[in-house]
Amino acid sequence: MSEELQRLPAEVMFQKEIDALIAAEKNPVPVGWKMSPKSVLTYIMGGECNGVKIIPKYIGNKRIVEIAIATLVTDRALLLIGEPGTAKSWLSEHLCAAINGNSTCVIQGTAGTTEEQIRYSWNYAMLIAEGPSDKAIIKSPVFEAMEEGKIARFEEISRCASEVQDALISILSEKRISIPELGKDSAAKKGFSIIATANTRDRGVNDMSAALKRRFNIVVLPSPNTLEEEMDIVKTRIEKLSEGMALLSKVPEAEVIKKVCTIFRELRQGETLDGKQKIKSTANVLSTAEAISLLTNSMSLAGSFGDGEISDADLAAGLQGAIVKEDSKDSKVWEEYLENIMKKRGKEWIGLYNECRMLNG
Amino acid sequence: MKTFGIRHFSPAGAYFLRQFLDEVKPSLVLIEGPADFDFLIEDIVSKKLVPPFAIMAYTKEAPIDTILYPFAEYSPEYQAILWARENNTECHFFDLESDIILELEKRDDETKDEEIISETNPKKSIETDMEVFWERTLEQSEDMQAYRAGSALLGESIRKDTNADDKSFIRDIVRESFMKRKIKEYIEKGFDTEKIVAITGAFHTSAIESLEGAMSDKEYKALVRRESNVTLMPYSYYRLSKRTGYGSGNAAPAYYELLWQGFLNGDITYHERKYLSSLAKYMREHGGIVSSAQVIEATRLARELAVIRGGSVPTLEDLKDASITCMGGGSFGEMAMGFAETDIGKKIGSVPQDAMQTSIQSDFTSKLKQLKLEKYKELVATPLQLDLRENLRVKSKESAFLDLNRSFFLYRLVVLGIDFAKIKRSSQDNATWAENWILQWTPEAEIQIVESVLKGDTIADAVAFVLSERLLEATKISEIADVIEDAFNCGLPKIVEGAKRSLDETANGAIAMCDIADTVSKLSNMISFGDIRKLDREPLIPIVKRLCIRASLMLVGESACDDIAAAALAEDIQKIHNVFMLQDFLDESLWFDKLIELSNRDDLNTKISGLATAILLDAGKIDEPTLRKEVSRRLSVGMPAELGANWFAGLSMRNHYALIGRLTLWESLSEYLDTLDEEEFRRSAVFLRRAFVEYSAKEKDMIAENLGEIWGLNAQEVSEIINSEIKEVDTEILEDFDFGDF
Repeated sequence: MSEELQRLPAEVMFQKEIDALIAAEKNPVPVGWKMSPKSVLTYIMGGECNGVKIIPKYIGNKRIVEIAIATLVTDRALLLIGEPGTAKSWLSEHLCAAINGNSTCVIQGTAGTTEEQIRYSWNYAMLIAEGPSDKAIIKSPVFEAMEEGKIARFEEISRCASEVQDALISILSEKRISIPELGKDSAAKKGFSIIATANTRDRGVNDMSAALKRRFNIVVLPSPNTLEEEMDIVKTRIEKLSEGMALLSKVPEAEVIKKVCTIFRELRQGETLDGKQKIKSTANVLSTAEAISLLTNSMSLAGSFGDGEISDADLAAGLQGAIVKEDSKDSKVWEEYLENIMKKRGKEWIGLYNECRMLNG
Repeated sequence: MKTFGIRHFSPAGAYFLRQFLDEVKPSLVLIEGPADFDFLIEDIVSKKLVPPFAIMAYTKEAPIDTILYPFAEYSPEYQAILWARENNTECHFFDLESDIILELEKRDDETKDEEIISETNPKKSIETDMEVFWERTLEQSEDMQAYRAGSALLGESIRKDTNADDKSFIRDIVRESFMKRKIKEYIEKGFDTEKIVAITGAFHTSAIESLEGAMSDKEYKALVRRESNVTLMPYSYYRLSKRTGYGSGNAAPAYYELLWQGFLNGDITYHERKYLSSLAKYMREHGGIVSSAQVIEATRLARELAVIRGGSVPTLEDLKDASITCMGGGSFGEMAMGFAETDIGKKIGSVPQDAMQTSIQSDFTSKLKQLKLEKYKELVATPLQLDLRENLRVKSKESAFLDLNRSFFLYRLVVLGIDFAKIKRSSQDNATWAENWILQWTPEAEIQIVESVLKGDTIADAVAFVLSERLLEATKISEIADVIEDAFNCGLPKIVEGAKRSLDETANGAIAMCDIADTVSKLSNMISFGDIRKLDREPLIPIVKRLCIRASLMLVGESACDDIAAAALAEDIQKIHNVFMLQDFLDESLWFDKLIELSNRDDLNTKISGLATAILLDAGKIDEPTLRKEVSRRLSVGMPAELGANWFAGLSMRNHYALIGRLTLWESLSEYLDTLDEEEFRRSAVFLRRAFVEYSAKEKDMIAENLGEIWGLNAQEVSEIINSEIKEVDTEILEDFDFGDF
């Protein structure tokens, strides 16, 4: 059955690794956790455990992951902040998978999220028929996590209206939810916490109140530091994705990944990698996640319509779509980049340059 | 013999070393450090000494090289010296003498450069990782044995990383064989081998354990020495933190002091509370909102981080990470200032006055006394007004020129970069004989004085050295003029003489107009006021003459430039013109000829032409009819509007009132405006508006009066329009307007 699912939750996908880590546990395990903080760190950063290879889930600064895990040990809530595509949700999912063996306790924050979705709501038919009762109550993921002593995830918290976000304040400080209709309140079990993620650069986000921010330990996830690091991330993810999606194309060569990462990094930083030339940046964020989706897209193009090898034309189509999104200015920026930078990069780039040139009319 | 390996600047080392000494009760304590430093031990143990301090050895002859041994309160070496004194035990330094080390250092200067180059970014992260590792392994040792084991590991690891044919390693071998020789000497003197404790950096411990290979007399005699001096000097945590590398500095001195206090209090978590609360205190004082709850959360997080990272007590890295997360909203930038304050701190040491060994320090003290400035050596800023004129009421020559000599002295300190005196620019331009100074003593200044010894034995020597160095490096004449000015302020006629010669030479080459302008206005100042400072100004006059002729010849050629260059050029012209006006010895005729040419030609930058006209007008070289003619020519329909307006802007750069007072000018302007059609008017309006920005509201009123008279209008109404802000309707018109070709 799981074969048919489009995407498996982390704890199912990496079941083996989690089981191996739990079996080999030597360090003390905090209440409500499945493994010790050190094992969680191994699960996220990769390593080996009793002959089972643990794939690195987060490639980047180890210190950040250490801070994130230590925060959850102290029963403080964790807020991951970063630009789009810096692996915030990815990290939060894997933290939950390793700590609770369950990453599906999620609230997706949107402009339409209401306070009921954070606390609890009612099954109205039952409420009218029987009046307020334990059966009529519909608990939110946060409520459930409190009862079970687990970690709830709150994705894109800054997309909710500020008033709605503030519903978390009392939950995080009192660690209990009161249900006045039933005349009782429910206290959180040990192990309960929240991992929230928030975006810094997108449009349509709301400010978080200072009161709420104070209740979180805030960790900022940076964009990858170096070209090599970014290439590493892209490669690992693409390999994993193409397994799941059965794309007919081969995993792209290192040279192709390097080209995409170079273009993305340069446009993101506003200068060439060697720092010698200034470039205009695009209006939309060119994240690592975007690079990954671009490459899988090109793979699928190559696999379905080409010979299975990513050609310059496949790549150009993907680049055009990723870089020139809505703004006509982006088209100008892209054109300038093509003419001033890519054209002068020599033989290896000229094929890609010609294809991009054609598409960018 | 017993050895104790330490990490320099190690609080745990200091603490456990004292424990070790208490246990062993040695009769002789040997410390890594040049053997000729022994004579300083009396001063080091003095109650008047407050760490941090440093011992500096420097060569007497150029090129000046130095070696520096800084110590903090938690330096194990310092604590060992104190222990020896408290327990009446003999204590000596036993490393190679400093004059030999200075020679050895000189020899591997070449390798030093390489080291600096390779110490770029990638290594930095490894360095911080190392720092954390050693903090965990050594500073958090549970007991003395654990520390010794840890330090053995440290020594081994550094030794392993060292390249065997590395020059600094070879130097280490030489030093170690000398240390062995010293130990042997002491044993021969009758000290019980078992009662000798040798304290060295962990690196050397294993090497000196056996006394095989001690330096022989012949080898010792063969070592080359450089004549050198040694002095004790105060030091600061800030300087300590700026020095990197093993043993010579400490990145977070204030933090390490917290660790030391923790040891003294018998509380190994003292530093985490103190560190986080001081950080919070700093943040609060600087506008941040940090609650005690956040400090508590940060403490908890730091402890958890320590556990995850394999320790039990937080290290500096854990504490920083925790405070960024809990107090700084995840942003390092928010906390950076706080970190600088709490990691490094502002502590500055002091050294007993009589221990100051450098000649420049005693020169400074005697000069203070001689100039009666001693009472200004205060931590409070005190103003001092000097009257540079000869005091006729006193008899001796010395006291007659007391204030002038004070001024020379204070200027010299400024040139040496010693933070003691600051000059306050006097608001009265004419009071050339008055100078206002602010004097404030800082312990940092003491360090700066000691460092100045590298430049010369006395303050005057050091200044002369600094100025001659600057003279050698100067490539532009304005830089040389700066040197002359400084030498002139410092009362060093010899330097002035030398600088004059090099100015003479350099002035023959290609020079820029701005250079000339800066130079002549500086020199002109000195010529005007040189008298008061007893300067022979005669030699400067020919140079100014030459440069002024040069400027006159360059003037027209330079004026064919764009508007950006014109702005700078206009300033230069004004400066040079002022010199012409000020100095009688200059022949102005050539200058004015060139200005007239500039004013008449319309193929040059019109702004400069306008300025030339204005200058001539001021000097009375242009009469009213000529001006009128010039205005109508410049502002005629044939001329592009922007050039005309630009010319007018140039004309307005000097005396506004001289222009306002000439009704003919405004008549011409009015006639000009009448000739323009709608489109042309719009264009010129933009530029004219820009030209009138320089005028004050009052001046605009006066212009309004003029124009009102010409147009037969009420001055009030015109003024209202001229002084009004741009209205929306105008803005709309402006938006339609095509600025493309401006």
